[in-house]
Amino acid sequence: MKNIKIYLFLFLILPIMSYGQIEGEVIKPRGGKFLLQNATVVTVTNGTIKNTTVLINKGKIEALGENLADAEATVIDCSGLFIYPGMIDAGNRLGLVEVNSVAETQDFSEVGEVSPNMQALTAVNPNSVAIPVTRVSGVTTSLAMPSGGIFPGTAALINLNGYTPDQMYAGFKGVVMNFPSSARRGSYDRRSDEDIKKEAEKAIKNINEIWQKAITYHRLDSAKAALEYYPEMAQMAKVISGELPLLIEVNAASDIQAAIKWLEDKKVRAILTGVSEGWRVADEIAVADLPVITGPVLALPNRQSDRYDAAYTNPGKMLKAGVKVAIRTDDAENVRNLPFNAGFASAYGMGKEEALRAVTIVPAEILGVDGHLGSIEQGKSATLFISDGDPFETKTQIMHVFIDGYQIPMTNRHVRLYQEFLERSPGLEK
Amino acid sequence: MKNLIYIITALLLLNLNSLQAQVKKGNLLIKNATVLTITNGIQEDTDILVENGLIKQIGKGITAPSNTPVVEASGKYVMPGIIDAHSHVALSVVNEASSPITAEVYMGDVVNPFDIGLYRALAGGVTVSNAMHGSANAIGGRNVTLKHRYGTLNPEELIMTEAPRTIKFALGENPTRVHGRGKGIQPRSRMGVEAIIRNGFNEAIQYKKKWEAYEKAAGQKNSTAIPPKYNLRLKTLGDILDGKLIIHCHSYRADEINMLINVCKDFGIKNIVFTHVNEGFKVAPELAAHTMGASVFADWWAYKFEVYYSTSFNAAILTKNGVITSINSDDAELIRHLYHEAGKTQRYGGLTDEEALALITINPAKQLGIADKVGSIEPGKQADLVIFENHPLSVYAIPQMTFVDGIKYFDINEDEHDQRLKVSATEMVEPIYLMEHDHRCMHGVEMFSETGQFFGTH
Amino acid sequence: MSLLNRKTLLLLLMVAASNVFILAAVAQSDPTGGKRVTGTYAIKNATVFTGNGSATKVDIIIENGLIGGVGKNLKTPIDAQEIKGDSMFIYPGFIDVSGSAGVKTPPTPEKPADLDPSNPPPHIAGITPYVDVLESFDPADEELGMWRKTGITMVNLIPNGEGMLPGNTAVVLIGEADSYNTLASSTGMFAKFEAIRGLYPGTTLGVMAKWRELYQNAELANKHQSLFASNKGLIRPEKDRVLEAFYPIINQSAPVIFKVKDELELRRALNLQREKGFRMVVTGVNEGVTLIPLIKETKTQVILSANLPEDTASKKELKGASEEITANLDRVKAAYKSHLELAAAFEKEGVPFAFSSQDLKSENFLNNIRLMVENGLSEEAALAALTINAAKILGQDHITGTIEKGKLANLVITTDSLFKSGAEVKQVFVDGYLFTYETNGNKKVGKEKTTDIAGSWNYNTETPQGSSSGEMIIKKGSEGFSGTITFDNPAGGGKKTADMLAIKQSGSTFEFQFTVDVQGTSLSVTVSGDFSVDDYKGKMTITDFGSFPFTATKSPDSTTNN
Repeated sequence: MKNIKIYLFLFLILPIMSYGQIEGEVIKPRGGKFLLQNATVVTVTNGTIKNTTVLINKGKIEALGENLADAEATVIDCSGLFIYPGMIDAGNRLGLVEVNSVAETQDFSEVGEVSPNMQALTAVNPNSVAIPVTRVSGVTTSLAMPSGGIFPGTAALINLNGYTPDQMYAGFKGVVMNFPSSARRGSYDRRSDEDIKKEAEKAIKNINEIWQKAITYHRLDSAKAALEYYPEMAQMAKVISGELPLLIEVNAASDIQAAIKWLEDKKVRAILTGVSEGWRVADEIAVADLPVITGPVLALPNRQSDRYDAAYTNPGKMLKAGVKVAIRTDDAENVRNLPFNAGFASAYGMGKEEALRAVTIVPAEILGVDGHLGSIEQGKSATLFISDGDPFETKTQIMHVFIDGYQIPMTNRHVRLYQEFLERSPGLEK
Repeated sequence: MKNLIYIITALLLLNLNSLQAQVKKGNLLIKNATVLTITNGIQEDTDILVENGLIKQIGKGITAPSNTPVVEASGKYVMPGIIDAHSHVALSVVNEASSPITAEVYMGDVVNPFDIGLYRALAGGVTVSNAMHGSANAIGGRNVTLKHRYGTLNPEELIMTEAPRTIKFALGENPTRVHGRGKGIQPRSRMGVEAIIRNGFNEAIQYKKKWEAYEKAAGQKNSTAIPPKYNLRLKTLGDILDGKLIIHCHSYRADEINMLINVCKDFGIKNIVFTHVNEGFKVAPELAAHTMGASVFADWWAYKFEVYYSTSFNAAILTKNGVITSINSDDAELIRHLYHEAGKTQRYGGLTDEEALALITINPAKQLGIADKVGSIEPGKQADLVIFENHPLSVYAIPQMTFVDGIKYFDINEDEHDQRLKVSATEMVEPIYLMEHDHRCMHGVEMFSETGQFFGTH
Repeated sequence: MSLLNRKTLLLLLMVAASNVFILAAVAQSDPTGGKRVTGTYAIKNATVFTGNGSATKVDIIIENGLIGGVGKNLKTPIDAQEIKGDSMFIYPGFIDVSGSAGVKTPPTPEKPADLDPSNPPPHIAGITPYVDVLESFDPADEELGMWRKTGITMVNLIPNGEGMLPGNTAVVLIGEADSYNTLASSTGMFAKFEAIRGLYPGTTLGVMAKWRELYQNAELANKHQSLFASNKGLIRPEKDRVLEAFYPIINQSAPVIFKVKDELELRRALNLQREKGFRMVVTGVNEGVTLIPLIKETKTQVILSANLPEDTASKKELKGASEEITANLDRVKAAYKSHLELAAAFEKEGVPFAFSSQDLKSENFLNNIRLMVENGLSEEAALAALTINAAKILGQDHITGTIEKGKLANLVITTDSLFKSGAEVKQVFVDGYLFTYETNGNKKVGKEKTTDIAGSWNYNTETPQGSSSGEMIIKKGSEGFSGTITFDNPAGGGKKTADMLAIKQSGSTFEFQFTVDVQGTSLSVTVSGDFSVDDYKGKMTITDFGSFPFTATKSPDSTTNN
């Protein structure tokens, strides 16, 4: 009787068990043809359509409609279930750190203030324990961000499936810049306001000098001059030329204004990230037409005098002012909480539809990958998930996840520990 | 004339009373809500009558005496005030990290009523918290159970005086890093942590014997018995052995949880709750058999090596194995959405609504020894109540009002944005903090290891 | 001839043998010309605030260091120097109930090699209640003179050590340096909520627990001693000077003088008092009106801090600022106002108080009190705080606090009514010795003097890793301050130099930052503290790691001003 119970649980969590695999055997991602029958498909870009079947083939959404059939395809009955595009977390350290307190596992921050040539992509650990933990929540794509210094490196978008970083690469790279901050680093930061201001001014001057150097480098390089090896400038030149966008991490209201001003005379593709006080200057961000990746939503307000829900209402307020807003977690091992961040943003002003867009098509558009990610449309990558309800709700179970057409095993360390220890054998008495 | 004397005496008495902490208690009538009682199922379209800070009656169509504030709650949910069994909110100091045993210190000495974290917790429906010593020491100080009566300038009015005493223990990486690796004194390994705790208890037994002998001798006529030295630390440890305090032990690994369970068995200690206990699921049967439960995170893991092998199914596994389980925050940000954290146990382990809500109400109340006073909506219990728009376990839940002892301390529609009680006379520009979280378990501790690296908090 | 010589010789020998010159009759040559001609004075027809009733125009006779007479048309003694008092306003000499002018910081004790930081010996942990403040007191310290200039004639000295119980207090006159000025020693046990980092107790938590334990053990030791004194055959008691220092507290013959820095600390001190029942004086009080009932209940005596926060808010002009910013500013202004109104609030509730000079530059002392008077404090209460209330708290009201015949000749002589802005202290009598000051006429009092921190300093700092030292050079230029600091290179091998950044100086406070590179990470270090003449005491804060004590002394011949 006990054994049947265990198998029943396994059936619930691992529908793939129906393929007769032995308990304990490793389940691998599977490619091929899949027919997801009779689901309610939330396309994001074309409304929500009921009783629809999605055909996955060669990694893409080959077709969607009623009464599709394909004899070779593996059929998954999705009656009563929902299909959503895979969620995109546009800013975190997933894959770049394993155990945060163990320095040897931290790979997101390099020595030096100006190191834009550091490639986050190469440091991503495809086998990080946190990746399987994350993707079963429906978050399929994530922007790995370096940090530290003024130009910490180049961020890269990865899909959470693949055995090498190149296999995971999802088609976006951007140079990160930490805009000089007038905020305090912590409660122990006791510099006076004038000193913080002075340091920020000095830092801007420094950045402008580096920028000028980069412009010069780019000009000379375009003129085919023989330049000395200068990898930092070579990477900055790609921003000057427009090849790579600039991801500017900036949070305090006055800093956002300063950043907008700083960008006025520069022809770069800029994206503002962080933006926790964006609601204070939302109109100005909208006028400047700068897209915003903000989060986490589940965060403390910046100021003691702020309303307690300042971080919850931030995305909604910016959206209302006309800003293009995507939501991120800025986390490492709990990127799986992206849908809950979106849920809170929705409850506190953004609305369900816009909150869903903020973690699917909007980050895809901001990062320029909306050609293959961010919505359920024919021809796009089959990066999606099937759930029994609203993925923002904690009660909802995510039943299946597909990344680039691969069916992902719905297991990870947390699940395996659950299976082993729910009913421990031996129990209390040996 | 006599009347005058009575009046004057009464006034004098009143004056004296006003020197003691005066706890405000209120009257209230909540109407037509869906009441989540926790212990008595869900009652729809139901009223709750509160008198002098206590729940007087739950039922339909209750009429209240005039002057009772009435709150119309139709379409809304009411649940008991959320209880956080592990918090450091409203404390000026968190760690006395200079010694591996500091049972003599008391968090009630450093309660800070000006902490905006109290208000933010109220805005998340939390009415009671266990304000704890940090996790720097194997045996830390006595915690203080707080009621979130935000707005008072008197820290004593925040203390839940009727709550039993609790004390903080900590195992694993934190005490071994602070003392062993940081200062070169025991403990430096999990072996040392056990030794320190056993030493403490054994010394306390000797201390108790000395004092019992003295008290016996001093009770006799013309006694010249000389008192032994007074040691508050050993006295407190002795009180633990006498069952007068509940231990809340910060722990992660299964082996160290086992260690402390065995130590408690050896010394006859029954009042022990494990907190964090990320690997508690590995020893769920033992926790169920020998302890007062486990207080866990919903899904935090991998921030230290000792939590690398944890699972977000922890709370579900523990619950299904009969362990009294609660979900805590240990963080000024997380405390604001414990209702959402509890909801995660429905995704990770399929707990029912009833089981999930118990994790933040009656279960932590049991672990703090206050389950007869708070933790559910029953007549006779204290009126700590939260009104929600949408079911609290939904991600779209928004707390509307929070009551402590029948007094409203949070109202989403009426409250000012700026809830600071005190403002500095010279701070012209308000500091802007980029703190997403505020983990304070290791607050105030020198964080050097032998190699001088800085470790993240927590 | 030889007789005369022998007599003179004998006299000289007597004089040489004794260090104390008591009688003016012991004639002595003074080639500096500084010695006074006579110790008897007659001040004629001055406006005198005796402290008993309102001011009257009277004469005051001073002789033998005491007030010989107060009244109209007194007979001037023959040996008196007459002083025309028509334009003078005279008050009883002010009393500072807790000040540390002239008190040096005792040296940090050396840590033993096998120090267990969780159980350090008391003298390392800052628990030295037996230490006498007079051991570190230098009566010739220039700072004392600066305080005398504000009218303060008597101080209850506070020990300057680190930790929770640095020692006991003593009452001295700020009199003639060559004279004897100690009035009373061991007048109270000084306590504060300060802990020595890295040692037990290390925070307020430990300090509170340690207090309870020390007090309880002192009571038990006291019991043991009295049992031992009246019985045979008992184990002899341990001699513990820490616990013995508590005996006068336990038997109520001396108070605990508790320094508090905010109302939460004031509450903690009151809680300890309620638990144990000792006599208590709280000093440094700068907020806490709600605690007045508790203060009254516990009969705690109050010393308000004369230090007021800087007025940054009221000058601030905000044109077209948002509602939020204006609301915030209003709150800051209100907070500032409440500090100014604190003394008036205490007066209104009927709580007598005195003032403390700690944490304050002497130039601001009277000005701050005037600000308090402008904000509701009555002149009578202010004067009482400076004089008779203070004398009562110190138990010296039988000899000072008012101008009466037989009391000490401590007087403050001002050019105008004390609380009028522009009034200056012209002369001060301490113990019958006259000190005269230059007055600037109508110049507004309270302008800060140009500071003299520029120069080369040798510093010392204590971290748990040990102590380290170096040199800081501060230069004052036309644009402000600049400087450099040397420190031990963390990578080993000698010293590194860094520029001082973000220098901030205001009054006696001086603050700067510099960066240290440790293993590729840049750490920002902030040093901030107060300096006086050639001593600098403060804290060094390393971001993320904490604060450590930082002291420095000026190198001789190093004052530079360019």
